Amino acid sequence: MFKSIVTLGALLMATSAFAVDSPITGNVSSKCSVYTDTAGVYGNPNPDELSTLPADGGVMPIIRYDVTIADYYTAKLSWPNSFTSAPSLTDSLTWDGEIEVASTSDTGMAGYEAAKIEYENHTEYDLTVAGSTWFKVTSNVTYGVDKPLPGGEYKANVTAVCIAN
Amino acid sequence: MYSKLISCLLVLIPSLSNGHELTPTYPKLRPSYIDGVLVTDMHMWNRREDAQYYEINVYDDEWNPIPFAATERIFQIDYLAHKELEIYIREKDEEKVEYICTTSKQLKEDVKSTGIKSMICSRVR
Repeated sequence: MFKSIVTLGALLMATSAFAVDSPITGNVSSKCSVYTDTAGVYGNPNPDELSTLPADGGVMPIIRYDVTIADYYTAKLSWPNSFTSAPSLTDSLTWDGEIEVASTSDTGMAGYEAAKIEYENHTEYDLTVAGSTWFKVTSNVTYGVDKPLPGGEYKANVTAVCIAN
Repeated sequence: MYSKLISCLLVLIPSLSNGHELTPTYPKLRPSYIDGVLVTDMHMWNRREDAQYYEINVYDDEWNPIPFAATERIFQIDYLAHKELEIYIREKDEEKVEYICTTSKQLKEDVKSTGIKSMICSRVR
């Protein structure tokens, strides 16, 4: 009798031990994050020119996009076509630029550069693979016709947009 | 060897980087406490050390602005802070609303040479 009670008690205790088992669950929702990895700097290779190319003494801005789920977002990046602040300028400016994939976290993103859509100063990439993509921005501006840029501080903005599909 | 070093640096760099995040991707509009006005909740996380001001905008599918109300259209959010945003939209605009976006606003003195304006848009379906 006593043995049966002990056995039954042990069985019940074992059951209660299972009852405290507590699973951890999690959920990753779709999300896009835009990171400013490197702020760009203009170099002044010629008196009438500013450029972010390292060969011209500049630093190219690098922007990282993280997407948690594939096919949920489009990246739209735009190189500058005006200064946000500059000394007083009396002649015209000619802007040029290029957005390129600098690096990717997944080999499936290898086709991003070939599939990009360019118009005006904008470039669009379909973020069809989950992970991180780094984009580098080339910006170049020339002033007048061989006219030196006035001395002072020049600032321009790169725009990085992440749009839900 | 050189490419491995670059890859390693790119993996390490994100820990130093600054980010901007807006969720959910597909917000839903629901009736608010005001008749004829809908509301949705958005969540913003500022991981950009160089930007502490953001602007909310609502657009249709042609990127035309749609009228909306929020406690603040341009708001201040500290680095690494989270913020809940309540956005109110007229019921008559429900079918037109397509994008809800937040855009970084940098102070002039925070931009060194080329600033980066980040904008994240969620889509209302």
